[in-house]
Amino acid sequence: MILDIKERLGKTKYDVDKTYAHITVDENICEKCPHHFCVMACPAQCYTLQDGRLSFQYEDCVECGTCSVACDQGSVKWHYPKAGKGVIYKFG
Amino acid sequence: MPDYDAIVVGAGNAGSAAAITMANKGLNVLLVDRSDPPGTKNLSGGVLWGNDLAKILPKWQSEAPLERFIQNKKIGFLTEKSSVVIDFKTKIFEENKVGYTVLRSKFDPWLAKKAKEAGATVIPGITVESLAKKDGKIVGVEESGDTITSNVVILAEGINPRLSIEAGLRAPLQDWEVSVGVKEIIKLSPQKIEDRFNLTSSSGTASEYIMGNLEELNIGAFLYTNKDSISLGIVAPMERLRENGVTHTYDIIEQFKEHPSIAPLIDGGTVAEYGAHMIPEGGLAMVPKLYGDGYLIVGDAAGFGFSNGLVLQGMNYAFLSGILAGEAAAEAKGRGDFSSSSLSVYKQKLENSYVLKDLKTFKDIRKVTNNTNMYTTYPKMLESILLEMLWERGQPKKKIRDILSSCAADLNMSKLKTATDFYYIYRRM
Repeated sequence: MILDIKERLGKTKYDVDKTYAHITVDENICEKCPHHFCVMACPAQCYTLQDGRLSFQYEDCVECGTCSVACDQGSVKWHYPKAGKGVIYKFG
Repeated sequence: MPDYDAIVVGAGNAGSAAAITMANKGLNVLLVDRSDPPGTKNLSGGVLWGNDLAKILPKWQSEAPLERFIQNKKIGFLTEKSSVVIDFKTKIFEENKVGYTVLRSKFDPWLAKKAKEAGATVIPGITVESLAKKDGKIVGVEESGDTITSNVVILAEGINPRLSIEAGLRAPLQDWEVSVGVKEIIKLSPQKIEDRFNLTSSSGTASEYIMGNLEELNIGAFLYTNKDSISLGIVAPMERLRENGVTHTYDIIEQFKEHPSIAPLIDGGTVAEYGAHMIPEGGLAMVPKLYGDGYLIVGDAAGFGFSNGLVLQGMNYAFLSGILAGEAAAEAKGRGDFSSSSLSVYKQKLENSYVLKDLKTFKDIRKVTNNTNMYTTYPKMLESILLEMLWERGQPKKKIRDILSSCAADLNMSKLKTATDFYYIYRRM
C-alpha cells in the first residue's frame, strides 16, 4: 500500500504540454538558494537536488501552486498551463 | 457595449454558484474554466455541506453526483502507537442529510452543467492569460490575443490566484496563509467500506485527525468514505514545513496511511489517484480587497475557508460567496453601475452572512492551530492518561490528579503553559 511518489504520480492523469513549461525556474537564483525548500514542499517531486544542484521538471506538476509560495528567492515563475493541458483529475 | 454582463473565471463551487445566480437573474454570463470537462483540475478533501447550494439548486440532493451522506463525524488524535477517537453519530445528520462526501471531478462538471442550463455560456478548456484593464478598471479577460469584455469579472480562480496576483488585486501568498493538502483516492469495494466503517449503502463517515506522531509539523489528516473509494489526505502548514525543512510533503501522507489505526481501514485498497491542493488558512488577515471597479473575488481566491484544527471547511464558503457575488453583480446591473462603490454591496452581503462573520469570530484561531503543543504534547498526554486508566499492568493505581502531574512532568509541561493553552482554546476556538 505504501507507494513511492513516482508510482503514485503514475496513477494521476495528465495531458502534458510538451511545448510549454507553465513553471520556470531561474537556475542562477537556485544555485545560490540557501535552503531549496521547494524540494521538501512540492508534493509532486518536481524539484530534486542532484549533486547539490536543483533540477526541475514540470511534467508531473499537479498545479497546486505550493512552489510559488515555497520559493522566497524569486526564482519560481508560475503561469497557468495552456488550455486543457496539465493535470486532469478523474476523482479530484 | 461589452460582450457579457459578467465573466466568471473558474468553474469551481464559487464560480459556478455565481454563474447560476446571475443567469437566474437574467444576466448574460460567460463561465470559463481552464480544464475540460470544467472543474477537473479541482480537488478538495471532499465533504460538502449543502445548505447554500440548496438556495440555487433546491433538488441538489437527488440530482448531484454525491457519494455518501455523512452519518457520523470523527475527531481523532494519533500518537505513534495509539489513537483516541471521538465518534459523533446522530440521527439528526441522517434526518437532514446536508453533509455529503463528493468527488470534485464528478461534482464540478455537474455544477457547471447546471450553470449552462440556467442560461450561462460555459466554455471549458480556456486559460485566461490576464485580466483586461482600461483606465484602472477591469473590463474583461484576455486569452490567446483576444479580449472578451464584460461589465464585471468574477474571479473564482482558486487558492493559486495567478490572475489576481498579476493584476495587483492581491499580494502573492505568504507561508502563514496556506497549508499544503495532499490527497489520495484509494479504491475499495462498497462492501468492505460498509463493513469496516459500519455504514449502510448510502451512509458515510468523515474523520479528521491530529497527527501527534509527527513532531512540530502540526499535521492534520482526514479520511472520508465515498461509494467505492476512500478519500484520504494530510494538511501541512507551510510555516511549519519550512521551519522543519527536512520532511517531504509526499511522505507525510504515507506515514498517515501506515498508522496502526489507519492501515487496517484501507487494507487491500489500491491507490487510484494522487493529488495536491493548497488550503487557505490565514483567516480574515489573508482576505484581499474583495471588490473594485469591474471585479469581485470569491471562494478560495478570496481566502474563504475555516479551519480550527479539527474542522476544515471551504466548499460552503465558496457556494455562499459565489451566490452573494452573483446577487451583487445583478444589483449592479440594475443600477447600470459596475464601479467599485456599486459592487461594494458584495462586501456588505458577506458581512451579513456567516462568511465574514466566521472569519471575524475566529480571527485569532491561529494562536490555537499554530500552537505545536496541540499537535505534540496534548495527544501524548491523552494517551498517557488513558494508558494509566485503562491498562492493567499489575501496578498500584493512581488518581487522575497524579496521572496528570506525572505525565505533564514527563512532557515538560508546566501548569502555567497548560493553563495558557487551554485559556487560548477557551477564548479563541
